[in-house]
Amino acid sequence: MIMRPTLSKKKLILLILLAVLLPAGMILALFSGPSGLSLPDAFRALFGVGSKTAVRIVQNTRVPRLLSAVIAGAGLSVSGLIMQTCLGNDMASPSTLGVSNAAVFGANLSIIAFAGGFLSTGHNVQNYMSGVNPFATSVIALIFAVLSVLVILGLGRLKAFHPGVIVLSGVALGAMWTAATTVLQFYATDVGLSAAVIWSFGDLGRATYRTDLILLAAVTVSAVIFLLLARKYNALLSGETTAVSLGVRVVRLRFVSLFLASLVTAVSVSFLGMIGFVGIICPHVAKKLFGQDHRISIPVSMLLGSLLLLFADTFSRTLGQGAALPVGAITSLLGAPFFLFLLFSGKGARR
Amino acid sequence: MIEIRDLTFRYEKKSAPVLDELSLSLETGKIGVLLGRNGSGKSTLLKVLLGLLKAEKGEVLADSENFFALSPREKAKRIAYVPQELNFGALSVYETVLLGRISRFGLFPGPEDDAAVRNALAMTGLAGFEQRDAGRLSGGEKQKVAIARALAQEANLLLFDEPTGNLDIANERAFLDTVKRLVSEKNITVLAVLHDLNRALSFGDRFFFMKEGRIAFSGGEELFTPELIYEIFDTRVRTETVDGQKIILEV
Repeated sequence: MIMRPTLSKKKLILLILLAVLLPAGMILALFSGPSGLSLPDAFRALFGVGSKTAVRIVQNTRVPRLLSAVIAGAGLSVSGLIMQTCLGNDMASPSTLGVSNAAVFGANLSIIAFAGGFLSTGHNVQNYMSGVNPFATSVIALIFAVLSVLVILGLGRLKAFHPGVIVLSGVALGAMWTAATTVLQFYATDVGLSAAVIWSFGDLGRATYRTDLILLAAVTVSAVIFLLLARKYNALLSGETTAVSLGVRVVRLRFVSLFLASLVTAVSVSFLGMIGFVGIICPHVAKKLFGQDHRISIPVSMLLGSLLLLFADTFSRTLGQGAALPVGAITSLLGAPFFLFLLFSGKGARR
Repeated sequence: MIEIRDLTFRYEKKSAPVLDELSLSLETGKIGVLLGRNGSGKSTLLKVLLGLLKAEKGEVLADSENFFALSPREKAKRIAYVPQELNFGALSVYETVLLGRISRFGLFPGPEDDAAVRNALAMTGLAGFEQRDAGRLSGGEKQKVAIARALAQEANLLLFDEPTGNLDIANERAFLDTVKRLVSEKNITVLAVLHDLNRALSFGDRFFFMKEGRIAFSGGEELFTPELIYEIFDTRVRTETVDGQKIILEV
């Protein structure tokens, strides 16, 4: 059955190894953390047995957190892959269209302006988040992110839907959001400012079952659609003219794909903050190791994204001794050397 | 039979037209060659035919069917294209050629698509290459993959944009022979942009000399006179006949 994607034995073994690593990583994440919970205690707590604190830590903190790593990692990575393919640009990332900047602006607006951090007289400085539900901050972030995507895609539709134009308008719009954020932050109180800045660091500790579910829905729907379109992405690798000549509606394909990829990013940034690098590097590693057939590179990118974010988060929780370091920094610290190794080792000598 | 009537295209409103009421017709089973200087509109014409650019006016009829009324999918069943730049990405040869069937299968290819791919691979001498990485083949082999993909489309009209630009003489010869054989075997029509006048002469049946967005001259081999070539290319040449074959020499 040649029509199925075929992998050499070596690649198949590698894929199986990676696939096994995911549940292993999840177990590791479940049992590591600063609370000093013993292994058997943590295991029992998973099923609601044991002390109330242990159950709460495992069920309400660790499980939603590790799920968010798996889901967001997969989502960011597949978004990056689709961006790279649709924009024909190796540098493209989930936030190429400026979604992250828009989400950060929305969150800043919510925290600084609505939660009392804005030109505050001081009466609510002590509890800067009291005026606003953190979920509301995420929702406002999401609204701005989606708005921003719609503006870019709308502008693109208006004139030529050319990848170069889209990338540049993403850069321009992103810069506008960042500028607006800076202005907001300039007027913020110290507390409001630090709250806003800390919000923008990626932190999986914000994940709850509710946010996981929303993220899961966005990632699942997008991934299924991306997989169904896999062959069209393959056609796009031959260039726009060829893809059109093969009967692919390239403009529509780009529009739908960029929208979905940005939406996944928007949801992820809005709930978890900015997590860089996963969306650029994981797709490249997937392509380097397994080739560019999207029927393979889509699932492999997702798997690698989950793995990187999961291990980075576990690492950050272990390393921080109680205070988890920003996971976005760890993903880069862990992922970049590995990527450089791949890039310069013989294995990655494609092209 | 493909007929292009009064095709006009401009990149921006009110700018000079790149295609200026261009008309041409080419019989089924013939190889038409587009010749002309850079900027005369050859590549633009191919892009308009492929539906990548939208014509301002005019029509294209293939066996009296209006091309511009067709959906991209239906169009891909009738016109296939072999580009000049050959990038496939890191895909297997089989998967690359199977892309020629995208317009025919919905989401998943069936046995008839598999058969078409294998047939196209056999016709281009690529049997046994199925699992090779198309991105890592030599220039000549990549060219064959592109042709196989176009053949898998089972279109009646094949468009070539400077197809021999990346090939050495032997591969170029082999390529042109393969196309000629396919044209006579499958009764398809070819429209190719070629720059080398001698290649064009040995390859084509009909010649279209383009100038300023129009077909300035069209006809057979008899068109290749020093006067006409001077008029189109602004270059002095002389023609000679060697072993019954006309050749063009630069002076």
